[in-house]
Amino acid sequence: MSISRRVFVKSGGLALFSFGLDPLFLARAAFASYRPLPPVTARCRPVLVCLFQRGAVDGLNMIVPHGDPLYYRERPRIAVPERDVVDLDGHFGLHPRLAALQPLWHNKSLAAIPAIGSPDSTRSHFDAQDYMESGTPGAKATPDGWLNRYCQHDREHQNTPFRAVAFGPQLPRILAGSAPSLAIDDLQAFGLRAPQPAARDRLTRAFEALYAGSATGLLSTSSQEAFQAVQMLQQVNPGQYQPANGADYPRGRFGKAMLQIAQLIKADVGLQLAFADVTGWDTHVNQGSSEGQLAARLAEFGQALAAFAQDLGEKLRDVVVLTMSEFGRTVRENGNSGTDHGHATAMLVLGGPVNGGKVLGKWPGLDPANRFEGRDVAVTTDFRDLFTEILARHLGATDLAAIFPGFTPDQARFPGAIRA
Amino acid sequence: MTKTDSRTVGRSDRARRRAYLLAGLVLAFQSVSPTARLSAQLSPRDSALHALNRLAYGPRPGEVDRVAAAGVMQWIDRQLSPDKIDDAALAERERQFTILEYDADELASMYVEAQREQREQKRQQGEAPGDRDSVGGQHAAPLPQRMDPPQERGRRLAGELQELALVRATLSERQLYEVMVDFWINHFNVFLAKGADRFLTPSYIEATIRPHALGRFADLLVATAQSPAMLFYLDNWESVAPGSTPPQAMRLRARPLFGRAPSFGRPPLFDPARDPMRADSQRQRAVERMPKGINENYARELLELHTLGVDGGYTQQDVINVARIFTGWSIRRPQQGGDFEFHDWAHDYGEKVVMGVTFPAGHGRDEGVRLLKLLANHPATMHHVSRQLCQRFVNDDPPDGCVDDAVAAWKRTEGDIREVLRAVFTAPDFWAAPNFRAKIKTPLEFVVSAARALGADPDTTPRLAQVVARLGEPLYLHVAPDGYPERDAAWVNSGALLDRMNAAVALAAGRLPGVVVSIDSIVPASADPAQLIAAVNAQILGGTMSENTKAVIRRQISDSDPLQARALAIGLAIGGPEFQRQ
Repeated sequence: MSISRRVFVKSGGLALFSFGLDPLFLARAAFASYRPLPPVTARCRPVLVCLFQRGAVDGLNMIVPHGDPLYYRERPRIAVPERDVVDLDGHFGLHPRLAALQPLWHNKSLAAIPAIGSPDSTRSHFDAQDYMESGTPGAKATPDGWLNRYCQHDREHQNTPFRAVAFGPQLPRILAGSAPSLAIDDLQAFGLRAPQPAARDRLTRAFEALYAGSATGLLSTSSQEAFQAVQMLQQVNPGQYQPANGADYPRGRFGKAMLQIAQLIKADVGLQLAFADVTGWDTHVNQGSSEGQLAARLAEFGQALAAFAQDLGEKLRDVVVLTMSEFGRTVRENGNSGTDHGHATAMLVLGGPVNGGKVLGKWPGLDPANRFEGRDVAVTTDFRDLFTEILARHLGATDLAAIFPGFTPDQARFPGAIRA
Repeated sequence: MTKTDSRTVGRSDRARRRAYLLAGLVLAFQSVSPTARLSAQLSPRDSALHALNRLAYGPRPGEVDRVAAAGVMQWIDRQLSPDKIDDAALAERERQFTILEYDADELASMYVEAQREQREQKRQQGEAPGDRDSVGGQHAAPLPQRMDPPQERGRRLAGELQELALVRATLSERQLYEVMVDFWINHFNVFLAKGADRFLTPSYIEATIRPHALGRFADLLVATAQSPAMLFYLDNWESVAPGSTPPQAMRLRARPLFGRAPSFGRPPLFDPARDPMRADSQRQRAVERMPKGINENYARELLELHTLGVDGGYTQQDVINVARIFTGWSIRRPQQGGDFEFHDWAHDYGEKVVMGVTFPAGHGRDEGVRLLKLLANHPATMHHVSRQLCQRFVNDDPPDGCVDDAVAAWKRTEGDIREVLRAVFTAPDFWAAPNFRAKIKTPLEFVVSAARALGADPDTTPRLAQVVARLGEPLYLHVAPDGYPERDAAWVNSGALLDRMNAAVALAAGRLPGVVVSIDSIVPASADPAQLIAAVNAQILGGTMSENTKAVIRRQISDSDPLQARALAIGLAIGGPEFQRQ
């Protein structure tokens, strides 16, 4: 099934740009029941930042169940020693290289959800990532991603090209779909390049005319989004950005992505949804414990999140950062001081609106009898329970069932990540 | 495993398709274009363009006419026998690439040397091992202040390796062969920046993938399974039967100085010459780190990606048993050349059952080969790989008929890739009008097709490869085992399109150092806009330029001098929407 996309035109009407049968087009009939958000006063312009830890992060070494002796028994070579764990609640603790996040825990803007994941049992990275991004575990034919479906069903912010932005060279599955979204690898370099501004503007207009008249399908919608964004970015003039409050982003792709997200939030261009990937979690060999491979990845991850929070300062009040990963890893270490593909993992929620300082969800424990298929951490929180809570309570989404087809959203199952 | 797969059995109008196939084969030996008969919609010229866009990296100037005149089926037939195509010009070019002069042993010792230098540097800087050791392209890390020669050489060779792929794709006469090399490189993906794969990848390309790219799938599969690059990438080299003990000599030098997982240059594991105390504790750590059991990584991806496909009917228990079968498939230390080595001591000799097939106790390396051969011609594998081939050559959503034809050829020939491809290229679906220009070029295809359209001759510096990297496809640097995606949605987005426009303008203006373009012979500078636009349309867009594009270009060049006008017209044509399609 091809993924068809169409921009909502600036006027707010619907562009009838469909090739053959477009299932999304049919879905648009549902807009009749659309109810607008209450006026944004108390909390202005909520922002959701989704971060995907691709490769299946080892939730057990990220949020360490140091109070569970089984954790140490199953991981003689890779468990994080109790003395190194940054304790959170007496039972769980942060990996020591995530210590930069401790202040956020203390000021109650960081929550952890261990034992979260998909109801689907796949241990394939690619299927599991696909399900987490489409929001439909077990159903591969879903053409769009859940963040995009949110944009389709809640059109409050549609009049800015910067509403939904993925930071990276590719537009992820989670943002695929008929609502417009941008992929920006480098904010500074986003646009046509020419020696003089006049030449640049002329080139931009030429390509814009070229694509407006000759492009079809994805080429048409993506280019239209690009030129709108280029125009708006010129007014904003990203220029030289200096992080505030002494925030120090780690070098590398992920730190740069987080910096650019902060930059766009502060530029006030209407960013509502931001997405970035962070890779390197598939630790089959020598993953290390307090130090080593996973520790190095977590250090970069934690430093980038901490720098982001610091950089935003007051503005963190309106921002929620959600981390996700396709599944967790085996409870027991494998033959190479690493871990193989497992089931449940841990996710973090961070930001002003977060009901922080808490470990959320039900912890199934590591007893083999309670494990998934006798080997992996069982899923006690369906990832959709957390995602729907954030959409509803943070972004004010009303039509949750349409965003997660085949799923019955239930407030009673919300893990409680967002302050009421 | 012996069950036939109902999905792969042709369901409808086999007779009609067979008739088409026969027609195609008969016409292949005629010099007139047959495609008018195969598909009423495509003209001989469009057929030639279509074939050059799919089986090749796009046409070079004048090539559409040449292929159309000679007969497109004849051209395809030739492409299916690359050995018979003279490629002397490319061979001459390849001689400039020093990376091809080194054998695996030499590359291994260079790697050991570079690693030693890097460790030394880190020790001096007191720096923790970090995320600094990617190579080339967009993953390039900031250069350290002082770069030691062995590391610098490593970087240069990595750049050469990437550029070599660009040069071959651009200049080779054996275009289909180069396209298939790229297909298999992605199907059997490895990650150049993961530890030992820095030195193992060149021989993976030259000795594992290239010799089998148009051979038998089973041979290719066995070659990848035994390739040190794959054994390292998917961790199988240290998957051992639980409780197995390496020989005493191995124990002391157990942990070879291989690098580790992606982007983690580990500190030296064991260097007794340095400090006896330190050496002792390091020896202990080395012993602790010795493999103690199986690793499922390769086993899972072998079933999911290389052969059966994720819905191929295997279970978690099958994954574990496949991993047990491959215990002991390992590699020598880099100091010894890093070749494939079967470790008898590490193998699990127990009985295993994989998808209902019993592998009796007492077998060693042979049971792995037996399993690979079973997998290679399993119905699920035939379907999975045939589908991917049809996705690459026909449509992102491959038509069932085309997949059925490919599977039938696979069955008939036991996985002769050449014959499977022949079935795809003679399938009615391949020539159906809706599939003409229905695919979007990947960054590699975009850059190479632009270079070919402009008659470009890239040198050994990694300039073109860096353009491909900036557009999102740094070669041999896809970290996950699924390889770069084929679907348009993965490549078309706002940022990527702007990047393509920028690359097009730079290329057309001759602003890419290291890439000589011969625009004068392709599109002579002309004061007449109509003449210029007609030449650009014919030579670069194969006659597919829309009226709107013509009008926009005409407007843009109206007040430019002939040279500027030409550069602008070509830049707009290559950066424009028509050229993104193939």
